[in-house]
Amino acid sequence: MHPVPGPITRRGAVGGAAVLLASCGSDDPRPPTGARAGSGAGLLNSLLALEHTAVAAYGAGARLLRGQALRYARQIEERERGHVRRLEQLIRGLGGTAARSRTPDEYARSFPRLRNGDDALRFAEDLEERLVRAYLQALPKLPEPELRRAAAEICADEGAHLAALHVMRGRPAAPQPFVTGTL
Amino acid sequence: MSPTRRTLLLAAAVAPGGFATAAAAAPRSDVAVLERLLRLERRLEAAYGAAARRGVLDDGLAISLRDQEREHARGLEQALADHGLAEPGVPRPDPRLDGALRGRTAFGRYALALEGRLVRAYVDAEAGLRDTRLLRPLGAIMASDAQHAVAVRQSLGEPLL
Repeated sequence: MHPVPGPITRRGAVGGAAVLLASCGSDDPRPPTGARAGSGAGLLNSLLALEHTAVAAYGAGARLLRGQALRYARQIEERERGHVRRLEQLIRGLGGTAARSRTPDEYARSFPRLRNGDDALRFAEDLEERLVRAYLQALPKLPEPELRRAAAEICADEGAHLAALHVMRGRPAAPQPFVTGTL
Repeated sequence: MSPTRRTLLLAAAVAPGGFATAAAAAPRSDVAVLERLLRLERRLEAAYGAAARRGVLDDGLAISLRDQEREHARGLEQALADHGLAEPGVPRPDPRLDGALRGRTAFGRYALALEGRLVRAYVDAEAGLRDTRLLRPLGAIMASDAQHAVAVRQSLGEPLL
């Protein structure tokens, strides 16, 4: 079931992101990974699903953005694609099958209605918060040092994306000493 | 609320038990990692404090980043204290800091290099720490330091990412 599109509010953006990201973990069919249990491939696939969602969200939001905000959104989208490629590589290295993205239309139906650039930036912020949270939660569960290294590097990237989005919304880049993300 | 209490509450919010529980069982090699992170955090705290006094970084930003580094350091000190190392040594002053304080660009370059080094140190820690309960709180600090780099780039008028 998809949320009914409506005007975006802080709660709406968070709720939209929550529904969306929850669906990434539960509604999507779990790919037949082929990796051994406990390898971390399943967890990496959950992160991959979130990254696919982020790529789609930046694509959807770009039509509402102009100037510097559009340039940064495009740049972050490309960096998220880089995370997708890295996660896919790690999953394949574990003998697993990487989760595939849904179609842009499928993602768009589950996004909150974005009416303007600020809506798009707020939605992007919420997604980045959730990405940070997801990587922080994944870190203690990943069994191999190199998997944790990759997750940590991507998590730091997501923190930087969040800072850039703060700036685009006219706020301090680094407002707090502990970046924990949101549920 | 005292800074120490706030630090502990924030750390606790990151992971069940926060730093205290996590570090209580930290193996020796983990202690060396925590000490290295603490030295770098204290170095940055000193640098932003000096930048505020010398006016080589926007005043509000310098103080905000100094205070955040201080919070990071307190979290790490708490972790070390709970492992029986109550008084980690005072870090040596960085001899490069004086040169960095000559102007805004020099300081920005210095701070960016140090923030980058710190983020890489946290990434190394995430890969190498044996006590996995430390990974979430340290990851939350790492993400904060990655944001500091964006803030410094913004102050230099450089691309944010």
